[in-house]
Amino acid sequence: MKTVTIRILGAAALIASALSQGCASDPSRLNTFSTDWLDDSGRSIAEVQTRLRGARPSANTDLVVSVAGNDKIIGTPLGGGAQWTAKHALDVRPIIAGGVVVVSGGNEVAALDATSGKKLWARPTGGLPLVGAGDDGNLTALSLSRGAGSTLLIVGRDGSVKRQIETDKTLGDPEVVGGVVFVPWANQYVSAIDAASGDEIGRVTIRDKVSRALTIGGTLYFGELAFIRFDDKISQSSRGGASRVALPSRELPGTPRLLVPGTEKVPPAANARDRDRLFGRPSGEATPLAIDSGRFYASYYRLILGLEAQRGNLTWVHTHPHDFIGGEAVTGGLVLCDEEGKIVALDAQTGQVSMEKSVGEPIKSCVVQADTFQAPKAATPGPSLSQQITDAVTVREATLATAQRLLLRELATLEDESATKTLIDIASDPRSVPVLVADARAALATRKNGAGYMLAALGKHYDFLHDVLRSPPVGPIAAALAAMKDPKAPPLLAAQLLDPQITDDDVKQAAAALALIGTEKEMPQLKQFFAMYRGTAPSDEVAVAAGSVAEAMLRIDPKGSRPIVEAAAKDSMTVPVTRARLEALLAATPEKGGDKPAAGEKPSAGDKPATKTKK
Amino acid sequence: MRATTSLHTCRRVALALLLSWAGATSAAAQPAKPPAFKPAPKVDVSPAVQKLKSGDEGQIRAGLDDLRIAGAAAAAAAPAVADVLARGLTEPLALQAIETLGDLESSDGSAILAQYASHRTVTVRRAAIKALTRTKGAAAASALRKALGDADAQVRGNAASGLGALKAKDAVPDLFVALDHKVNEAAASIGQLCNAEQCEQLAGKLGKLPFDVVMSGLELMLFRPSSEVSEDAKIKVLGRLRELGTGEAHRFLKDVERRLVKEASPRIRQAVEQAVKATAGGSQ
Repeated sequence: MKTVTIRILGAAALIASALSQGCASDPSRLNTFSTDWLDDSGRSIAEVQTRLRGARPSANTDLVVSVAGNDKIIGTPLGGGAQWTAKHALDVRPIIAGGVVVVSGGNEVAALDATSGKKLWARPTGGLPLVGAGDDGNLTALSLSRGAGSTLLIVGRDGSVKRQIETDKTLGDPEVVGGVVFVPWANQYVSAIDAASGDEIGRVTIRDKVSRALTIGGTLYFGELAFIRFDDKISQSSRGGASRVALPSRELPGTPRLLVPGTEKVPPAANARDRDRLFGRPSGEATPLAIDSGRFYASYYRLILGLEAQRGNLTWVHTHPHDFIGGEAVTGGLVLCDEEGKIVALDAQTGQVSMEKSVGEPIKSCVVQADTFQAPKAATPGPSLSQQITDAVTVREATLATAQRLLLRELATLEDESATKTLIDIASDPRSVPVLVADARAALATRKNGAGYMLAALGKHYDFLHDVLRSPPVGPIAAALAAMKDPKAPPLLAAQLLDPQITDDDVKQAAAALALIGTEKEMPQLKQFFAMYRGTAPSDEVAVAAGSVAEAMLRIDPKGSRPIVEAAAKDSMTVPVTRARLEALLAATPEKGGDKPAAGEKPSAGDKPATKTKK
Repeated sequence: MRATTSLHTCRRVALALLLSWAGATSAAAQPAKPPAFKPAPKVDVSPAVQKLKSGDEGQIRAGLDDLRIAGAAAAAAAPAVADVLARGLTEPLALQAIETLGDLESSDGSAILAQYASHRTVTVRRAAIKALTRTKGAAAASALRKALGDADAQVRGNAASGLGALKAKDAVPDLFVALDHKVNEAAASIGQLCNAEQCEQLAGKLGKLPFDVVMSGLELMLFRPSSEVSEDAKIKVLGRLRELGTGEAHRFLKDVERRLVKEASPRIRQAVEQAVKATAGGSQ
């Protein structure tokens, strides 16, 4: 069965091609997109590499192309030059390919001049969606999806079709260099097609999933999950020896992708997948191949995370006023556009905005191509990472919660005292997303610094009249301060213990902390709590707290407290959970001589709290 | 529903004050005599106190029952009830003890009730606030002021009403804050306690807060004796209502006019009558 038909325009060529296919019996010989090819250990691709040595990809236009309004296409140069607009029906998002912008819709595909937006040519597509395009200044290669197959169209600058290759294979996003079309397919091959002859003149097997061929900064790469450079090591690709760079794996919000699969039809308007992306730029011709500026970037709605390229450590966080819907890593940083039509460049090292432009109107989507453009260096280093995370996690938008949870975990690892404050603020703010509150509380309990912020927080209480509508995170603060053995904490914890608005869990943790660090000064509140809740504890947590308070009382004043605790342990009005705890406590701390009440003295179940009852 | 009940209560209080106001305005030199108060005969509380001291749940319940039946006449037992509450009880018994202290109406119970006014269980807090309104005393006022900031609306409302009943004039600034936070019961208490400036401040809430809420306070204020609120202050408030000129202001003024006693001050009567005329045909 013939797997490929090459249809060359002209009957003679068609016959010649058919004959050529019919003679294809040598498995080492390349038949276009054939699957009976045996890996040639890089021989054929090395020949292509030799042929193209010195033929650098043409310079691409540094441009942002946005889709706005009704089929309106806006080109905004990143460097100099005037912004242009064009109109064309759009079934898919425009593709910037070298010096042209390829648009598709209304049953035709058209090329616009990237510098002016002027239509260069248009060809009918029969409704096939465009999935990829490449251009070398003379030829434009287009990949059109046909469901279970693809059409590769090679078009000259004048709009004439040089080749039309139809295959039952799914082709990826092609690129053209020096008249050779590089076409990824079957997720593992890149075929080099001579545009003049239509012959496949070389093929390489890529060990990573590959669906895109693209030029960045004058260098040709293949990839989808990583960048494989087309250089003199490309012939070693099937043996894993090609120049390759990938982004380190790490936890990120959403499921961001470095490159959209080249086989995927991308809708004209941005969708959720455009709001969580990965951006990284290969370093060019440097050896070994690396990631530019040592940074890669993850977007999540209006947050951008700057990450260290070796291990993926978070280095900065940029919080933007609006959702980012497109962008591209550029030399020295990142260029992004938001849904309001604002274009910003971020400095790779600091995440600070180093350039701003505006499309002038809200946009539906955008694509960025940056070949020679460099992100300027930001004038200021910006706030500390702790502050940047704080800015990001205190944005009250439920859509950001996933990223904010991750950032909170990052914040908890920082030794900066202000991180403690941020955790307290989030846990105390009634507007905070519940999952963030839970995370902030968990992180707070393990803090080893920021005691000043914790003590200040403990001094605050719920107060409806003064709009303090959430109590501070007493429990985790109690745990942290108890671990620090902070002497200023006990009176504040004792006051919180008697505040009905803190949660039952907070009561439990505050009581546990007081069992460790409570002092004689807190005895009145401890006794009050014990008497009030030993028989009325509304939950097991509070019942346990009553036990912890008894523990504190026995530690601080064993002689005075033992009779009270003993009586409560025997009193049927004491709730079972507390009684069990009291019995265990008493058993663990046997009575010492002199601690027993005097003969005839009747122990009382609860001591009287410090009331001023008139007699 | 609660607000409506509260407003009805205010109207009843206003009526009572209206009756006493007649004497106050007709003879400033001869202040109104309070109605004759007969103290309840004292009862022997020692059997009930013995039961409270038994430490037995059933005995304590019986002792509290005995005291509730006796009511204020058993006020001498208040320290014993406070004591048993301070030692710790089950929740049902604690509630019973709290209500008993309210029935005994002795300030001896206020301190322990103040503690239970910040209990974690809201039913306990509500009961304690209600009881504090009856036991009175400095501890009660302080606890009620604190309870204005409670998370529970009913606790806040009862605390606001209680401060009015306790005549806690110092609490008026807090009551204004509460009123601004939709504790509507605060308006009536402010009306009961406000000085001239504060009454004017309350009148200033007309148009900003619901009419019924503000009027629940102004109504009480208008019918307070002139020894507490000057005629000038009342005329100012009447002027505010006149300026408001709405249908509901007119209906309110008509109601005030109807309820004015014969002995009411001529100045007040005239101001009310003029305000009624001026607001006739006011917008709905």
